[in-house]
Amino acid sequence: MAAARALRRVLDFLYLAGGVIAAVFLILILVIIVLQMLARWTGQVFPGATDYAGYCMAGASFFAFAYALNHGAHIRVSLLLSALGRRRRWAELWCFAIGTLITSWMAWYAVKGTYVSWRWKELSQGLDATPIWIPQLSMSAGTILLAVAFWDHLVRLVFTGDHGITTDLVDQSHAE
Amino acid sequence: MEQLIPIGIFLFVLFLLLGSGVWVGLALMGVAYVGMDLFTSRPAGDAMITKVWTSTSSWTLTALPLFIWMGEILFRTRLSEDMFKGLSPWMARLPGGLVHTNIVGCTVFAAVSGSSAATLTTVGKMSIPELRRRNYPERMVIGTLAGAATLGLMIPPSLTLIVYGVTINESITKLFMAGVFPGLVLAAMFMAYVAIVSQVSKSFDPSPEPPMSFVEKLKNSRYLIPVICLILVVIGSMYMGYATATEAAAFGVIGGLILAASQGSLSWATFTDSLMGAVRTSAMIALILAGASFLSLSMGFTGLPRGLADLIASLELSRFELLMALLVFYIVLGMFLDGISSVVLTMAVVEPMIRQAGIDIIWFGIFIVVVVEMAQITPPIGFNLFVLQGMTGHEMTFIARAAIPMFLIMVVMVFVLIAFPELATWLPDNIRQGPAG
Amino acid sequence: AQAEKWDMPMAYAATNFHSEVGANFAKCVTDGTGGKLEIVTHPSGSLFAGNEIKRAVQTGQANIGERLLSAHQNENPIYGVDSIPFLVSSFDEHEKLWDIAEPYVVKALDEDNLHYLYSVPWPPQGLYFKKEVNSVADMKGIKFRSYNTATARMAELTGMLPVQVEAAELSQALATGVAESFISSGATGYDRKVWEHLTHFYEVDAWLPRNAVFVNKDAWNGLDDATKKVMEDCAAKAEAEGLQRSKDYTQFTLDGLRKGGMTVQRAGDQLMKELKAIGAQMTEEWLAKAGPDGKAIVDAYKAAN
Ligand code: NA
Ligand code: NA
Repeated sequence: MAAARALRRVLDFLYLAGGVIAAVFLILILVIIVLQMLARWTGQVFPGATDYAGYCMAGASFFAFAYALNHGAHIRVSLLLSALGRRRRWAELWCFAIGTLITSWMAWYAVKGTYVSWRWKELSQGLDATPIWIPQLSMSAGTILLAVAFWDHLVRLVFTGDHGITTDLVDQSHAE
Repeated sequence: MEQLIPIGIFLFVLFLLLGSGVWVGLALMGVAYVGMDLFTSRPAGDAMITKVWTSTSSWTLTALPLFIWMGEILFRTRLSEDMFKGLSPWMARLPGGLVHTNIVGCTVFAAVSGSSAATLTTVGKMSIPELRRRNYPERMVIGTLAGAATLGLMIPPSLTLIVYGVTINESITKLFMAGVFPGLVLAAMFMAYVAIVSQVSKSFDPSPEPPMSFVEKLKNSRYLIPVICLILVVIGSMYMGYATATEAAAFGVIGGLILAASQGSLSWATFTDSLMGAVRTSAMIALILAGASFLSLSMGFTGLPRGLADLIASLELSRFELLMALLVFYIVLGMFLDGISSVVLTMAVVEPMIRQAGIDIIWFGIFIVVVVEMAQITPPIGFNLFVLQGMTGHEMTFIARAAIPMFLIMVVMVFVLIAFPELATWLPDNIRQGPAG
Repeated sequence: AQAEKWDMPMAYAATNFHSEVGANFAKCVTDGTGGKLEIVTHPSGSLFAGNEIKRAVQTGQANIGERLLSAHQNENPIYGVDSIPFLVSSFDEHEKLWDIAEPYVVKALDEDNLHYLYSVPWPPQGLYFKKEVNSVADMKGIKFRSYNTATARMAELTGMLPVQVEAAELSQALATGVAESFISSGATGYDRKVWEHLTHFYEVDAWLPRNAVFVNKDAWNGLDDATKKVMEDCAAKAEAEGLQRSKDYTQFTLDGLRKGGMTVQRAGDQLMKELKAIGAQMTEEWLAKAGPDGKAIVDAYKAAN
């Protein structure tokens, strides 16, 4: 039981850390864009700025996938789910099973895709000439984290009947 | 017609996954996978990740999370409250009252941003709580927002028009100019609809605003100054050449932070709340975009959109019939694809048809924008529906139904464009475009 | 063997001459094999976008595709052999260089799991400005759109201010003055209707970048000899057709720029001499990156002249 609790804490920490890393990437987008404008106005060059901003965009997206899932931010058509009432659990099981399948598939190919970029020494086509596998690490890490989150919720759903996702977005907007 | 069975399977999987409650982005992934599996022997997983990576690591996309962040910051300041304080004394007497702020807000913000998702989140974040507080009918609030936010695509700058212009080698400046009047006309049509419904519908019964003298109204207008400044800074940065359309979003965020600080509502908590809120919303949109990009690839491999366009080309229709056929075609396509993908996937076949029929290609760009706008609000795959669901927590069906009148208005808009083509062509034809300087 | 269908992603609009040549090539192969191998072109980046195409073909996500080779010169400087500024200054000189360089490019592509079929040059690259320019000194301080290492370096050497602007934002950047100058073919300026913002086009024939069509090597090896032969014949035809159309199109677009109201002329002697000097320096810099293969190409080219 203690092991389970420790695992729970580690996983929750990881999801939150993903969200925080994504937030840092979002701030970096802003910083890079501002630096690029400053550079242009003062006759300087910031080579590869647009490429770096693009990589940060990927980081801000991928790292946040799991975090967004746990906060119920990823949207779904829940009409059928609500209509099912007490039998909702079976439909949820189906959704989480499909979600786990697809995200695991994505994570597998994200890792493979990153490996392929490394294997073929693929370089960015822009001014930055970055080896593309480096920014793609965020894709691998983020999709793995999302797949882990889905496995996590699926297991919880099977054993406790509750997937553990709380939606705070709705509360927030309905509270007004 | 040997393709009927695979098409049937494709549609069945789409409705099964979306309808049963699988997360939208993942459902699109699943459908795209099935499409790849049915129609091509290419490795689906590798192709998927190629598309996912380019669609999420794109420079032009960076404007989206920044505008969303700006919306989150403004939402946490007194700005939206102030804006309504300034506007409500003037607009409360209009038939339709403050619902017009949705439309006017979207029209103004459309001049700032090239995407409808950014327009929707920024305006909606501010207007929904204020309108709800005043007891405006929810369906009206959501519907007008879903519809008016699509003006982001028509009023320049516009991502759709850039993609269209690059695809067919036409002047993007001309296309931008062509979008101005139709955008304003469409906004006016939305407002007229609101005005009419407010008079006819019994459920339209907002809380009355306190009466005010003219001088008080004027005095209250000072609350509008900050938001007007912010909009001027963002638009100005673009048209004065300080920033590209993508970079202007950065002005928005910084301006929002400065406004919040000047009102004393910028604390560490509001800063992190706005930041994490933006992270969640943009992650949600990014996952759907990733799924949509893979679906678009899958559709390209299936050859369906092009096959359908070929079919229309083979019918040898008159000019009006052709436009009607294309209208239906793009409405159907728009139910399943995002607008930009349906333009890119079909233009190779549609462009020669249009040129051959003697239809003005700039005018057709605006026609395309209207149908792409419709695609944003038609289920099962409609981007504005998704974003509004994320924002309000309403069921997709509720939002889609609320948006039906807006959809119909856009259909009317197509006929207005056909009847008065000058709406789109006058400005680009009459502003002299000789060499600068 | 049963009939096969190959999807061919292409980056440029369906009406671009490269795409039309590609479509003719596809038809030639389909007809030539009696439908045994059908090639379907997907222009406008509608299947894979330009920057995805090389990887997509390399890894078999598509069996065949067309890509602007020099976009990949970060990976291998040999891919940039067609884009060394001011090394060649006409279609004929360019073709001479390409004859020498082609085997090296074929080898480089082979190492990337790609079988080279044919390539077609774009019209020569010229300079767009908002004012009359007669010398490098006149260019000082102008905001110059750069999109890769070579164009950024060129800005630096000519004293212009490089601003990074993506292709999608070019028109808007010109309209708002974010960029005031750029280097590209007359075709780009014609397609984008650049006369709305700029006034002068100088034919400097800086370089002629090429679009190459290549096949996934495993897919190529899986073809029977008869099919390979058909493909190679069609490729040779496409290459000849493409070169001729590129030449015709050059004149057409320059006339188009003139009709749009731009001043279109060859660069003056002084400007040309100064640009050539910059070109010589950039050739040296390219050679330092491109190693013995690069040196062999440039030496052979200079010896042939
Ligand atoms: Na806009
Ligand atoms: Na739709």
